[in-house]
Amino acid sequence: MVSTVNMAVNLGGIQMRNPINTASGTFGNGMQFEGFYDVGTTLGAITCKGVAAEPWDGNPAPRLAELNGAAIMNSVGLQNPGVREFVERYGDYLQGLRDRGCAVICQVAGHSLREYERAMDLFEELAPFASGFEINISCPNIAAGGAAMGATPAGAAEVMRAIRPRTGRPVVVKMAPHDVAEIGRALEAEGADALSLINTIPGMAIDINTRRSRLARPTAGVSGPAIHAIAVRMVWECAQAVSIPLCGIGGVANWEDAAEMILAGATAVSVGTANLYDPTCAARVVEGLTAWATQQGVSEIGELVGAFEA
Amino acid sequence: MSATLHDFEVLACKLVAEDIWHMSIHTEVAAALQPGQFVNIHVPGDGAHILRVPLSFSNANGRNGIVDLYFATVGEGTRRLAAMAPGDRSTLVGPCGNGWKLPTEGGRALLVAGGIGLPPIVAAARMLATAGIGFDAVVGAHTATKHVEDLIDCLRTLSKDEGCDCARKVVLTTDDGTRGIAGFTTQAMEVLLAENAYACVYTCGRHAMMAGVANIAKGRGIACQVSMEAMMGCGFGACSCCNVALVSGGYALCCSDGPVFDAEEVAW
Ligand SMILES: Cc1cc2nc3c(=O)[nH]c(=O)nc-3n(C[C@H](O)[C@H](O)[C@H](O)COP(=O)(O)OP(=O)(O)OC[C@H]3O[C@@H](n4cnc5c(N)ncnc54)[C@H](O)[C@@H]3O)c2cc1C
Ligand SMILES: Cc1cc2nc3c(=O)[nH]c(=O)nc-3n(C[C@H](O)[C@H](O)[C@H](O)COP(=O)(O)O)c2cc1C
Ligand code: FES
Repeated sequence: MVSTVNMAVNLGGIQMRNPINTASGTFGNGMQFEGFYDVGTTLGAITCKGVAAEPWDGNPAPRLAELNGAAIMNSVGLQNPGVREFVERYGDYLQGLRDRGCAVICQVAGHSLREYERAMDLFEELAPFASGFEINISCPNIAAGGAAMGATPAGAAEVMRAIRPRTGRPVVVKMAPHDVAEIGRALEAEGADALSLINTIPGMAIDINTRRSRLARPTAGVSGPAIHAIAVRMVWECAQAVSIPLCGIGGVANWEDAAEMILAGATAVSVGTANLYDPTCAARVVEGLTAWATQQGVSEIGELVGAFEA
Repeated sequence: MSATLHDFEVLACKLVAEDIWHMSIHTEVAAALQPGQFVNIHVPGDGAHILRVPLSFSNANGRNGIVDLYFATVGEGTRRLAAMAPGDRSTLVGPCGNGWKLPTEGGRALLVAGGIGLPPIVAAARMLATAGIGFDAVVGAHTATKHVEDLIDCLRTLSKDEGCDCARKVVLTTDDGTRGIAGFTTQAMEVLLAENAYACVYTCGRHAMMAGVANIAKGRGIACQVSMEAMMGCGFGACSCCNVALVSGGYALCCSDGPVFDAEEVAW
C-alpha cells in the first residue's frame, strides 16, 4: 500500500523526513550501517556519538554486560576522537547523508562548562554538515560533567545558557532519566529548541563469585527493551511540562514501541540498543510506523503526537 | 565487503567434548569470510537475551557455502545455540573484523592455539598453506579430546591438500597430561623456538596465554599476530563497547580494528 500520510516532522528546527532518529552511541557515525541499508535515504535523522573538544579515551574494559531480561549495561564513557578528528574522519560522509535528505545531529560532550563551550565553538566552526546539535548533559559513565551537570534544573540551565549564544542552529538537550518535567522546563526557559530523553538508567551488575562489578566500573547505564515503559512514562511527563518538541528514546525495538512514544508526546523517536543486535531495526521501524499512521487515518504523523488519552 | 545481515541454516550440531560443540552452517556469506574474521550470530528463542554471539570459524568454504564453528557453552547464548538442530535457521552479521595477515617476511610460521582458540588458528593454517608458507604448531588443551585430535589432523593434512610441505611439527600439550606433553603451550613454544627459526607467530587462546606467547615472541624479535576477545555489543564498530588497551595509550575496538592485532600494539 502506498502511504499518503505526510511523515515529515520538525524537531525544534531540525527538518526530518520521518520521525525516526538514532540514539547517540548506538549507531556509530552512520557509516557502520551502510552495509545493512541506505541510511541517507531511509532515516529521518541520525545522532552521532558524543564528541568533546579534545579526544577522550573512555573507560577501561569490560565496558559491557548483558543482563537477564532484555537489557544491557554499558560504561563506554564517551570514547571519542575530539571534534577536529571527528570532522576529518566523518565530515564528508555526514555531508553525504544531508545531501540524501537525512538530518545529521552532532552530539556535544564536556566535563565542565568550559569544555562544553569549546566543543560547541569547534563544532559551529568546523561542522557545516550538522543540521543541529544535541548537548549531552546526562552521560552516567564519566566522572565529572555529563550527568552531574544535568542533574538539577539550575545546573542544566547553566549549560544551556552557555551554549545558546554559540550557535544559531537548533539545539536539542539529552536528559537523564529523572526530574524530567522540572529540568525540561528549565532548559526550555534557556532557549533549548528540543529535548531528547532518556539516557541510560544507572544500574549495577555484581559477579556474585568474585564480588566485583561485571564491568570495570561499579555502576553503568542500563538500556534496551527492559527500560521502554519507564522511558514512555518520562516522555509523557515531560511533554506535559514543556511546549518544545521531544525526541523519545529508550528501549525502542519495533514500530509499536515507536508509536507508543509518539502517542506519549514524542515528535521524533530514536532507536538505540536495538541497532546493535538487530542492525536493520530502525529501517523496519520507519516502514511499520508509516503503515500504522496510514491505518490510523491521519493525514500527517504530527496529528498522533501526544494523542494518548489519559 | 562490509558487514551485513545474512541468513544461515544449521547443517549439523554435535557435542565433541565436554561443553564443546561443533556446528556446521550453510550461509551465502561463506565465500566472503577471510581467515581470522568472525560472524555475529543471533540465537533465536529467548527475547530476554538480546545480544548476538560472536564466533570465529575454522573453515569457510566458498564453494559449498559451509562454515565450521566450534564453541564452548559458557552461558545462555551459547547454551541455546547448542540446542539448534539441523534445518533450524537464523541470521548472522558478517564478515566481521579484520582477519590474519600473511607474513611480511619469508620463513616459517609458528602457530600457538589454546583451548577454544584453536578454530581461528586452523583458519590461519589454511591461509598459510594456500600461500605455500610452512608452519609448525603448538596446540594446548585442558585434556585430549576427539575434536582436538580432529583439528590437529586437519592441520597435518592441510599441507597435503595444498600440495606443499607445510606442517612439519604439530605439538599437543594438555594440562592433565592425557596426551602429548603435560604442560603449557608457552613451554612447548620455547622448545620449538630453540630448535627452529621462525619468521612470525600466530596465536589465539586465553588472554594470559596470548600475553605469554606475545612476550616470548617479542623477546626474540619475531612478529606476532594475536586474535583478541572482548565483550561485544554489535560486532561492527557502532558502540565502542569492545575496547582493547593499546601500548600507545587509549583503546582500539576489538571488532572493527581487530580481532587480529599486532601483539606489540596491545597493552597486555
Ligand atoms: C571475535 C570473537 C570470536 C570468538 N570466537 C569464539 C569461538 O570460536 N568459540 C567460542 O566458544 N567462543 C568464541 N568467542 C567467545 C563467545 O563469543 C562467548 O563465549 C559468548 O558470546 C558467550 O555468550 P553466552 O551468552 O553463552 O554467555 P554469557 O552468559 O553472555 O557470558 C558467560 C561468560 O562468558 C563471558 N563472555 C561473554 N561474551 C564474551 C565475549 N564476547 N568474549 C569473551 N568472553 C565473553 C562473560 O564475561 C561470562 O563470564 C569469541 C568472542 C569474540 C569476541
Ligand atoms: C553502548 C552505548 C553507548 C552510548 N553512548 C551514548 C553517548 O555517547 N551519548 C549519549 O547521550 N547517550 C549514549 N547512550 C545512551 C543512548 O543514546 C540511549 O539514550 C539509551 O541507550 C536508551 O535507549 P535504548 O534503550 O534504546 O538504548 C549510549 C548507549 C549505549 C547502549
Ligand atoms: S562491539 Fe560494538 S564497537 Fe565493537
